[in-house]
Amino acid sequence: MKIKYAIILVLTVIVIGAGIGLKMFFKPHADVNKLDAEFKTEASTLMDEFQKEEATATTKYSEKVLEISGKLVAKNKLPNGTNLLVLEDEMAGISCQLDSSWSAANPSVIEALQTGNPVTVKGVCKGYLMEIKVSPAVVVTK
Amino acid sequence: MKKIFLVLIVLGASFGAFSQGKFIAKNAYISFYSSTPMEDILGESNEAVTILDSSNGEIVFQALMTTFHFKRALMEEHFNENYMESTKFPKAKFKGTIEGFKKEMLIAPVANIKITGVLNVHGVDKTITVPGTIGMEGGKLVATSKFKVTPEDYGIAIPSLVRDKIGKEMEITVKASYLPYGQ
Repeated sequence: MKIKYAIILVLTVIVIGAGIGLKMFFKPHADVNKLDAEFKTEASTLMDEFQKEEATATTKYSEKVLEISGKLVAKNKLPNGTNLLVLEDEMAGISCQLDSSWSAANPSVIEALQTGNPVTVKGVCKGYLMEIKVSPAVVVTK
Repeated sequence: MKKIFLVLIVLGASFGAFSQGKFIAKNAYISFYSSTPMEDILGESNEAVTILDSSNGEIVFQALMTTFHFKRALMEEHFNENYMESTKFPKAKFKGTIEGFKKEMLIAPVANIKITGVLNVHGVDKTITVPGTIGMEGGKLVATSKFKVTPEDYGIAIPSLVRDKIGKEMEITVKASYLPYGQ
C-alpha cells in the first residue's frame, strides 16, 4: 500500500514539474500595452540624461517601461513591416519600434499620427546608440 | 539647352553627394542563427547603427544586445542574462575596412567584398575577415555580410548541459541600407 502512494506522489511531482517547465519554456513575450510605465518623462529630458551620463542613464532605464512625450519628427516603416516613430530629433532623438500585434490592432491610431505634432509612447527602453532605442512600443492615446 | 545644363548640375550634385562623406543606417538588420536538434534559434535586431566612411572605406557597426528579439521570451532571457551578460556588456561593435576600397564601389551594382576589422562581443576583441557585398540596389547603397562566429572565442561560456544542443558556430547575417549623412 505504501509503495502505491509513493508511486502516485512521485508521478504527481513529475507531472507538476513538467508542467512548470513547459510553461516557462513557452512563456510569451510581455505585452507592453498592459504594463505600467515605471518612468514618465519628456523626450528632451530623457535625451539630456543619456547624452550627459550614458552609463548612469542606461542602468536607470534599460529594460524598463517608459512613457515618453515629445514631438514626432518621423514616421517610417522598416523593410520587415515594423512601424517606426522618431521623437524630437531624426538623427539623435528617440527611436520607437511599435509592437507588431499592437500595430495590427490599431492601424487608425498610427494613420492619424502626423509629424510635427506631440505624441506619447510607452515602451521598453533598450539603451543608447546614437539615439535612444525603445522597443517594443505602443502609442498612448488619452 | 538650359534644361540640359540643369540636369547635368543636378546629376553632378547627386553624384558628388554619393562619392564623398559619410553614410549612415540607423536601423540596420543583424541576426544570429543557430540550429539545434530541438529547434532553431534565431535572434534578430533591426536597431543596429552603422556608419560607412566613403573617404577610406571604413565601416563601423554597433548593436545593443538587448534589441535582439527571439521567438521565445525564455530564449531572450537566456541570451541576455546567461550568455551575453547584456548588463555588463550592453553593446557589440565592429570596426573594419573594406579590402581594396575604391569610391566607385559605392555607386556600382552590388559586388562581393571582404572586410577586415575588430569585432567586440561580450567585452572581447577579435580580428576577423568576413565576406560581404556592397553597392547600389534599388537606388540605395546597400551592404550585407554573412559569417560565422564561435561563442567561445568571445569568452561566452555555454553550460555543458546544453553544450551539445547549441551549434558550435553561430551564423551572423547583416544587412544595412545607407543614407548620406551630415550634408
